Amino acid sequence: MRPHISVKDLSVQYGALTILNHISIDIPDKKITAIIGPSGCGKTTLLKSFNRLLDLQEGAKVSGQVLVDGEDIYDPGTEMTHLRRRMGLLSQKPTVLPMSIYENVVYGLRIHGEKNKSKLDQAVEKYLREANLWNEVKDRLHDSASRLSIGQQQRLCLARGLAVEPEIILGDEPTSALDPVSAEQIEQRFLALKNQYTIVLVTHILRQAKRLADYVIFLYLGNLIEHGPAEKVLSSPRFVKTQAYLEGRFIEEFPIAAELDLCGGAKQDFPFRFEESLRGLTEGQIFKTLVDNEGLLRQILDLEQGQGHKVLEVRQISSTQWEIIIEKRGIGYSI
Amino acid sequence: MAELTLRLWKDQVSHRLMILMGLMVLFLGFFIGGGLLARALPVLQHHHWDQLLFSSQWHPTQGQFGLGAFIAGTLWVTFVAILIAVPLSVLTAMFLSEYCPSPVRLWLKPGIELLAGISPVVYGVWGMLVIVPLVRDYLMPFFSEHFPFFPFVSENYTGFSALTAGIVLAVMVSPLIISLLEEIMHSVSFGMREVALALGATKWQMVKTVVLRKVSPGMVAAIILGFSRAMGETMAVLMVAGCAMGIFPHSLFDTAYPLPALIANTYGEMMSVPLYDAAILLAALVLFILTVAFNMIAWGILLYLENREA
Amino acid sequence: MDKRKIEENFFKLLMIFSTLTVLGSLAFILLTILWKGIPALSWEMVTQSPKGGYYIGKAGGVLNAILGSLILGIGSTLLAIVLSLPIAFYLNLYLQKKSRLALAIRFALDVLWGIPSIVYGAFGFTLMLWLKIPASLLAGMITIALLIFPIMTRGIDEVLKMISSELKEATLALGSTRWETATKVIFRQALPGIITAVLLAFGRGISDAAAVLFTAGFTDSLPHSLWKPVATLPLAVFFQLGTPFAEVQARGYAAALILTAMVLLLNILARIIGSRFSRHIIK
Repeated sequence: MRPHISVKDLSVQYGALTILNHISIDIPDKKITAIIGPSGCGKTTLLKSFNRLLDLQEGAKVSGQVLVDGEDIYDPGTEMTHLRRRMGLLSQKPTVLPMSIYENVVYGLRIHGEKNKSKLDQAVEKYLREANLWNEVKDRLHDSASRLSIGQQQRLCLARGLAVEPEIILGDEPTSALDPVSAEQIEQRFLALKNQYTIVLVTHILRQAKRLADYVIFLYLGNLIEHGPAEKVLSSPRFVKTQAYLEGRFIEEFPIAAELDLCGGAKQDFPFRFEESLRGLTEGQIFKTLVDNEGLLRQILDLEQGQGHKVLEVRQISSTQWEIIIEKRGIGYSI
Repeated sequence: MAELTLRLWKDQVSHRLMILMGLMVLFLGFFIGGGLLARALPVLQHHHWDQLLFSSQWHPTQGQFGLGAFIAGTLWVTFVAILIAVPLSVLTAMFLSEYCPSPVRLWLKPGIELLAGISPVVYGVWGMLVIVPLVRDYLMPFFSEHFPFFPFVSENYTGFSALTAGIVLAVMVSPLIISLLEEIMHSVSFGMREVALALGATKWQMVKTVVLRKVSPGMVAAIILGFSRAMGETMAVLMVAGCAMGIFPHSLFDTAYPLPALIANTYGEMMSVPLYDAAILLAALVLFILTVAFNMIAWGILLYLENREA
Repeated sequence: MDKRKIEENFFKLLMIFSTLTVLGSLAFILLTILWKGIPALSWEMVTQSPKGGYYIGKAGGVLNAILGSLILGIGSTLLAIVLSLPIAFYLNLYLQKKSRLALAIRFALDVLWGIPSIVYGAFGFTLMLWLKIPASLLAGMITIALLIFPIMTRGIDEVLKMISSELKEATLALGSTRWETATKVIFRQALPGIITAVLLAFGRGISDAAAVLFTAGFTDSLPHSLWKPVATLPLAVFFQLGTPFAEVQARGYAAALILTAMVLLLNILARIIGSRFSRHIIK
């Protein structure tokens, strides 16, 4: 799996408020990736960090990297207009520009200097067809776009986004303002387009994620809780919070009974210190440990198989530190 | 119970009074127009209206009251002012609304509005001290040497001219235009800007194709308001326009004698000559009709836009 | 691509240039007034009325005009409040939000706001002839009140609009009449904003000259009667600059400085009170 977008240790803050907390993740190429999670958990922020529309929010501080095809888009030398051209955006509420249907579709092309009338005409037909809107509007291309129904407007927005020939389509709950029929049409479009485009979709509708997604990212309160192939995350999630969310249960923070800081320690004595800490706990109690290298992280995650302890959550808390939350289980040889 | 009756009675009485005052507001305009018309009637009865409005023969003592030159002077000066003020105001509003970091904007905007409160007389003083010499010593010699054709040719070397008045008026009305425009531009939805940028527009392309397009009716309204404000300005113009009784202005550097200045200037003498006062009040009526018409158009557009948004 | 960047930078430069031009000319005005006004400013200027021969350079000051402007301004502001407050409350409390009458009244106020002050002056003059009042403090007050009440009403109107409709509804739901709601709850809540609107209108009132030229007249004595002419600062500036004597003109600049200082102080005060107010508004 070749990543198309690669997020490395991305954090976003508004003043004292942390919206995204050290997110690292890869978005696969030519697949539909769904970002799920309760509202207010940073889904849209993550999405908008991909085309740097976050820059428009005053007071947003971004750290970390987002690589698109290996190029860091937060590098000061990045040409933003080129970057954004490579990504189409569909927002929650369809936003048509105050001009005709025709002009809406060719807006992006005109911006990028295309003047040839016949090329523009061709583009209008091609992309309106791709968005499955052509038959409905072909006789009134020069009417104001605001007269279209809201579902048609969203498909127009899709056509407008496709017209600049992006590689990536970003959808921010693109069906949430639409009626079921229009929503269905948009979903069909996504399925039809996914062989040509990398599609990233924010949604709070689980069924939509199930219908569309190949790959799922679950965010909770700005933290990346779980990500992976859709069938795995959605049907047999690994972590407790993901399970709770999928089952519609209340997501609780864990009562931490003990903590262990393994940062800076030598690798060899980790099993010993780890065992020592677990020994004091009874079954079902929860234990938090802090590590600062990925090797160690992986080793601890293997515990689940090795010793039967349950890893409840793994959370990156700084560029080199992870927090692992473990529930003591079963028959560890400590007993 | 008696207490409740009293409370309701108070409510009713206050309500009636308020309705009355509301209606008064609606009719005040007509009242002003009617009052001026009643006073101007004698001169309208003695002379044909087209002679009054279009003739430039103004000889009160001989019973000639042609307002033509004054109306032309008003339009000429206002036109010059708007020609200067509009590009400056549009660009400044654009800067404030789109480019300027918001802490700076929070300071600049009230600053500009604050200066809109300065007395017109003070603008006039500034015009006499700064703009009159500027026009007399620099602009006029420069233009008459390099561009010896309309509208730069003039025999008036005093510096008190239509251009001078235009510059002063432009400075006076630009705060109004800027703050109106800035507000309209700022209210263009975030989503629309986002769309343009997401398609790869540069910021300027976004402003040009989305913001400007969206605000163009509001912009027209703001400019009309600026125009009508400039048209009615009295004291500053009176102090710098030269105000020599004369003919239609033919040059930027000719003196101009706009209507408001005429009204202000003749106040002392108008009761002594027959029909003179009526002619002056006719001038006020003309000014009233012009400004009310412009304001109605402009506020009509703005109210329509506001309602459409909501 | 390069072309787009060039275009962007070109217009950005133009915008910055325009902003600097506008701000620069406004600052220029203040500096000019300061530079010309300060040398002629003296204690005598603000404590004495014009003595005989003041307008040919003899002793005196513009106390008559300072006091006249203040009294005229205060009187007309009070008159305007009497008109403005009820109308603004009527618009916001008695009429429905989408009411056509409210729309019409707001539209009328905006149009009235755009009528030039010289026209108000001329109208005031016809009123004077009609009511048989001479050019006087009273006539000036009425004219200025008419001139500033549209601004004041719209200012208060905007403040009242911002007060949440929940507050209005909650108060009405408690069984208050609309009149009680207006006077006891909304008025208190909106008071700082109302003061801002009133002060701004007051500033406009004292800075205007064209409306009082016809109606208030001018005099060298201190204001003492509603029925006698009264001096105003803007006209004092205007008349002094109209003389051919350098000393008198210099004192005109000083009077302009006094006027500007008064108006700017009022405006700044109004805005400070206003910003205090908006901090407590829940949006």
